[in-house]
Amino acid sequence: MINKELLSDLLSIAVSTGGDFAEVFAEREHITRVNYVSGKVESIRDQVISGVGIRVFCGTKTYYASTSDTSREGLLSCAAAVAGAAGEGNGKRCISLTPDVVVNRQQIKHYPDDVPTKEKADILRAACGAASAIDEKIVQVEGSYLDTDRSILVANTEGLCREDRKIRTRLAVSAVASDGSENQSGFFGPGGGVGVEFFDTVTPKYIGERAAKQALTNLGAVYCPAGTMTVAIENGFGGVIFHEACGHSLEATSVGIGASQMAGKLGQQIANPKVTAIDDGTIVGGWGSFNIDDEGTPSTRNVLIENGVLKSYMIDRLGSRRMGMPMTGAGRRENYTYEPTSRMTNTFIANGPDKNEDIIASMEYGLYAKEMGGGSVNPLTGEFNFSVKEGYIVRNGKICEAVRGAALIGTGAEILQDIDMVGQNLATGQGMCGSASGSVPTDVGQPLIRVKKITVGGR
Amino acid sequence: MNFQEMKDILFAAADKAGLKDYDVYYRVSTDASADALNREPNASAFGNAGGISFRCAVEGKIGSASTECIVKEELEALIPRAIANAALVDADEEPIFFLPDEGDIYGKVTVEKAQLPTAAELRRTAMELQERIYGASDMVTDGTSTAAGAAEVTVSLANSRGLSLSHSAAMRYSYAEAVINDGKEPSYGADMSAELDPDKSGIAEKAVAEAIARLGGKGVKTGKYNVVFSAKEVRTLFSTFGGIFSGKSAMLGLSLLKGKEGTAVASPALTVYDDPFYPANTMQMPFDAEGVPTYKKALIEKGVLKTLLYDLTTAKKTGNKSTGNAGRGSYADPVAIRSYCRSIEAGTDTLEELFARVSDGIYITEMKGLHAGCDAVTGDFSIESAGFAIKDGKKAGPVKAFTIAGNFFDLLKNIEAVGSEIEVGTCGFSMSAAPAMLVRDISVAGE
Repeated sequence: MINKELLSDLLSIAVSTGGDFAEVFAEREHITRVNYVSGKVESIRDQVISGVGIRVFCGTKTYYASTSDTSREGLLSCAAAVAGAAGEGNGKRCISLTPDVVVNRQQIKHYPDDVPTKEKADILRAACGAASAIDEKIVQVEGSYLDTDRSILVANTEGLCREDRKIRTRLAVSAVASDGSENQSGFFGPGGGVGVEFFDTVTPKYIGERAAKQALTNLGAVYCPAGTMTVAIENGFGGVIFHEACGHSLEATSVGIGASQMAGKLGQQIANPKVTAIDDGTIVGGWGSFNIDDEGTPSTRNVLIENGVLKSYMIDRLGSRRMGMPMTGAGRRENYTYEPTSRMTNTFIANGPDKNEDIIASMEYGLYAKEMGGGSVNPLTGEFNFSVKEGYIVRNGKICEAVRGAALIGTGAEILQDIDMVGQNLATGQGMCGSASGSVPTDVGQPLIRVKKITVGGR
Repeated sequence: MNFQEMKDILFAAADKAGLKDYDVYYRVSTDASADALNREPNASAFGNAGGISFRCAVEGKIGSASTECIVKEELEALIPRAIANAALVDADEEPIFFLPDEGDIYGKVTVEKAQLPTAAELRRTAMELQERIYGASDMVTDGTSTAAGAAEVTVSLANSRGLSLSHSAAMRYSYAEAVINDGKEPSYGADMSAELDPDKSGIAEKAVAEAIARLGGKGVKTGKYNVVFSAKEVRTLFSTFGGIFSGKSAMLGLSLLKGKEGTAVASPALTVYDDPFYPANTMQMPFDAEGVPTYKKALIEKGVLKTLLYDLTTAKKTGNKSTGNAGRGSYADPVAIRSYCRSIEAGTDTLEELFARVSDGIYITEMKGLHAGCDAVTGDFSIESAGFAIKDGKKAGPVKAFTIAGNFFDLLKNIEAVGSEIEVGTCGFSMSAAPAMLVRDISVAGE
């Protein structure tokens, strides 16, 4: 994307005013998004993102400049801008870059740019058509097909010079069911760090039908009761509970500045001994996987909690400086306009000792949360929320009537101790996580778990 | 390359390809920010990014393609990409490229565009906010962060019918987040302002006061409560459910306001405007993403739904006129319905009078996770909340760790009174203005 000589020059200019480290990040991404509504392919977003971000460190202070002008003059002026912000002087030094080969763990069969957009539109039509066809009560179906082909280059004053390419594919369907007097909605949006072959295993028909079935279930559902109760949370996107309740609080972004409830707790028993949690950016085909992060660090399998004991944080380059701990391949950003910060990749609770049927059977009264939506957290206090998209009341160990979505709230420290049963059907779900460095793809996951006590925001 | 040069390249290539109807939309922004943390400068950033989108009609269908890589070859490549994309769309309506009639007048922007502050100015603001926060209380601790920033955005639009428009606007903001610890628990408070001067914004002091007020928050018992929403949370709630006013959502059956124009959809206490020229809004916008003039309009007047929001295509399909509300999320997004500054008219009760009316209830000052806890299609919401108890008609101690749940369309009807003090707030590039509100019978889940 940028030749080695120019990269060296940019780095040299960037650190010429007192910085002790500089990094150039260049990116080019092609995004194809096909949108469907009311029985039609309505629009196609066909976008090229292209730009460069240059960062300078002075200790733990950072200076950042970014530009979409990737001409030689544009880049030199970007480097001058960041150097000017970092200090004064002209202490240029020679930067020698040693390009190395990044181990490619991705196995892409059909690169998005090799597949005609017509095929993508047909995949979307098949999914949305299947949602509409399932029941005449389905009155509206919206869908989108998305693929991205992202190439990045990272070079820094330590000599690092690495390039990588990352492919992602996703299909999301929202269905609305109506009985004439009210509407209810359903959603399913799986994806992967793979090419268009994704749909060989997860068929468009299955995706559409699953969204439609959820809308129909909610149409027949009564309001969820309010109060504190035992809750069983199903696998897959249910893992959003760990993402919100604990994951964000383990990011160096908050731990490194002391603004996390988890700061200073390494080696402590912070969760029930049945809980082992892992952030693994190396999973082949994972939605949140990559070969190298947006700072050039290889992704890792990072055991965060082992049998309830806090083992590790998620640490980016700046966090590593602040905390005096090694980087874990967690430096991510939405695109070049953002400075990278520590983020999750594929984060999940590992399989535990309990049989799934025992978990439901153990509940005298409570909520079975089959499908979850998103949520949010304040890492300082650990107070979190996330929403149930499809739920059922459990009575005397049996799953009974459907109840309409409600938020579950609590604090991370309490919930981790209250996860008192962990099942054995680990699966993951795909989401977009929003934070300081923008919106990045993250996988969440878990087997079926039981939380002894949590506040259910029904009515 | 400036917009005129890009336009010349694209128009020439489009004509060569035999296209008759097309437009070009370019958005470029420059932004700068400075952050401070724990009493020290922490980070500063500067960016400029621009992207261009080419849209054309081919056999009655719209195709588009966009890029940030502004060089001749990439620009010319947009034309075949857009033509190919048009062929894949299922359209049922002739695309419209706008040219104003004689009667169409572009409104006048009333705010002067401010210059981008220097990096030093931004750093000074962030650091002064730090000093003020640490000076306001002995309990202030690590994690306290402040920021100041500014951005300038220029949108340019030109089409094959001869339309050519360009508008620049600027915004600035300052942000203060105080973290405190009283030895028993951490607490936090945050505030944001469109003002850089810490004297005028007062956000440092407000953030500390909020953090202290939150200390010792207690749970609440599950049940039905009468609730006062703070002005900030009214803004948040209406912004989350803003999509219900989209004429397109209504057309698609995704808004329950469909067909309700002229009928009462809310309490008579409620009047809501969509105002591209709201006086305090520095991001005023005289034309929309299709080039149609924008104007101020009542969405709800004394409880009655006056209009929904339309772009050209939706207006034509539904027998309405465009309300100048075509927007693009980014330069690359297809045209969709957007709103401008949403402003809610003030009522007559002061905050204290609203508390007095409630007698016993909850004052909600914080709601979180609305992106997940609200469904604009059904109106249902279930939201993590915090605030203060209202006892004997007065604000009492802090409460937390509960949810409020209900349906937004019911809530609109159950607004009993609207506060007299308007709060204007900024969120990214948009702005909104609202007073506090009293709503009866909200379900609360807690202990």
